[in-house]
Amino acid sequence: MKLDLEIEGQSRQVEVVPGDVPGRWQIKIDDTPIEADACLLRPGVLSLIIGGVAHRVVLDADPDEPVLHLGAQRIAWQADDPRSFRRRRRHGAAEGPVTLKASMPGRVIRVLVERGTHVAAHQGVIVIEAMKMQNELKSPKEGRVTELRVAPGDTVASGQVLAVIH
Amino acid sequence: MLRKVLIANRGEIALRIIRACRELGLATVAVFSDADRAALHVLAADEAWRLGPAAASESYLRGDLILEIARRSGADAIHPGYGFLSENAGFAEACERSGVKFIGPPASAMRALGSKTRARQAADRAGMPRTPGSVTGLASLDEALATAAKIGYPVMLKAAAGGGGKGMRAVAQPADLASAFAAAQSEAERAFGSGEVYLEKLIERPRHIEIQVLADEHGHCVYLGERECSVQRRHQKVIEEAPSAVVGEDLRRRMGEAAVRLALAAGYTNAGTVEFLVDEEQNFYFLEMNTRLQVEHPVTELVTGLDLVHLQIRIAQGERLPFVQSDVVLRGHAIECRVYAEDPDNQFMPSPGRITRLLQPGGPGIREDCGIYEGWVVPMDYDPMLSKLIAFAPTRDLAIDRMLRALDEYVIGGIRTNLNLFRRILRDEDFRDARIDTGYLDRLLQSADGGSAPTAGAARAAIAGAAIFEALQARDGNSAGTNASYSSAPSSAWKAAARNEALHTRR
Repeated sequence: MKLDLEIEGQSRQVEVVPGDVPGRWQIKIDDTPIEADACLLRPGVLSLIIGGVAHRVVLDADPDEPVLHLGAQRIAWQADDPRSFRRRRRHGAAEGPVTLKASMPGRVIRVLVERGTHVAAHQGVIVIEAMKMQNELKSPKEGRVTELRVAPGDTVASGQVLAVIH
Repeated sequence: MLRKVLIANRGEIALRIIRACRELGLATVAVFSDADRAALHVLAADEAWRLGPAAASESYLRGDLILEIARRSGADAIHPGYGFLSENAGFAEACERSGVKFIGPPASAMRALGSKTRARQAADRAGMPRTPGSVTGLASLDEALATAAKIGYPVMLKAAAGGGGKGMRAVAQPADLASAFAAAQSEAERAFGSGEVYLEKLIERPRHIEIQVLADEHGHCVYLGERECSVQRRHQKVIEEAPSAVVGEDLRRRMGEAAVRLALAAGYTNAGTVEFLVDEEQNFYFLEMNTRLQVEHPVTELVTGLDLVHLQIRIAQGERLPFVQSDVVLRGHAIECRVYAEDPDNQFMPSPGRITRLLQPGGPGIREDCGIYEGWVVPMDYDPMLSKLIAFAPTRDLAIDRMLRALDEYVIGGIRTNLNLFRRILRDEDFRDARIDTGYLDRLLQSADGGSAPTAGAARAAIAGAAIFEALQARDGNSAGTNASYSSAPSSAWKAAARNEALHTRR
């Protein structure tokens, strides 16, 4: 299996092939071969031995970004493979309409604008509250509010689109 | 003797209290909101009763409902934990009227110490040092200006009903007082329903050091040493430790005796904490008294060898304190980290959601008080504290290293936490040398985080691990645990049928 892995912003070409013995893997990272002994302790928790060095690799099913915990390190990664379950997310272009997304799950406390309001860049649009903390979401650019998808009292998920600004 | 205790709280503290009751042979009643049906305290108690919807104002703050459940379940005592109704004198009175023992101080003592201005008056009566300033609410801006001129700038405006840093303003010069006074008043009014504001001298670079007291109902009161809680962010404690690195025998005795005088003068019983600011010359100033069990009580338990919740219950049963002041001996050093569901990389934004991975630390000298488990959805409706990780060792240095070891074992996935912040603090030279004050953490956060890039070996292991997870996913599907979704679609017809059946048999 061949993969393009992006780890902490660096792109790597990786080939991973199961070895003759169960649990052994032949891995090529940018043409450097390594041999790994991997044991899945339980879903998401891998005991990995490479050259006698033991690692605990924990796969974090973070809904926003795939992350590995390795010791104390929290490492963001992406896999780009047509058959992969993790498709690289492409970030939208900066031009045209922009969406205002919830930065955290919570409840809408106030909507500070109406549909059609002209807003300046960094002007407050919506206030969300979670865990006793209020957070004012600001417009990422100057423009007109063309859509308002939430009302006070609504519960929103992290990343949910709350408004569209043209 | 008490037989059945209702715990009017949730999360780790509810579980902590249930455990103590179990150990003492007392039956337990949990209460829960709709957001907490799957919480651990519900699972651990002998009985569990629904309070109401998720909002605290409709559940954990509903004293009337809680008393009704106490009556129906036959509970003869209520432990309020911390937060929620724990410092509500009206609730303590309502318990008394209903013939249910409130495990805490009497309402009269809560009233005498609950407002910061009244507590300052009580401190004066007890002959306890406090910061110079007013002991009543400021009636006007003119009074504020006159008081500030008398004690000298910089000064601090504070809400009498305050807590958690709300309604607080530091003022450096007379010209800034008018706007700060108005802002503090309106913020206090909004947060606490009372705009009463008073003024005190600002202590520069203070340490926050507090004394744990314990008083029985027969006039005996002891102090159980101090806790240092100077590592704070926005006036919220982040790390607490016992003992303080700067408190010696003499200062401990003077602070402890002052705290005991205040408690006795106010007719205080049960567990309480007297908070002080300590300046660079080791002068101490009374700050406020918290009339409840504190979040950080475990560090005191570890260095004294006492169980504070056991003692709270025994005091509530009318027992005498089973020891005297000279029996209290401090041993070793304990540090507590408050693990929060928040994102240090994104302005400490709350991060509620499902805990998809959980690997918890253990081993010698490690105690974890928490109410979380893998699969639990951290509700957005309450305080973001997930867990209290406490390390105990013979010395402060060893306790710090033990905590760092435990932090490396700890993995919480699915949500963001402040675990890495603790690694940074515990490795910081100033913290290790105990050069801390209440502004320490804000200064540390403003400095650049050198971070620690993965070593070459770790980076290679991460790449290999990621590739193997990908390969396992391709080969075995989600058994490798790679799918983010916990409630993944049933993968076979019989599973679907079983699931359907389960859904229909549930109410």
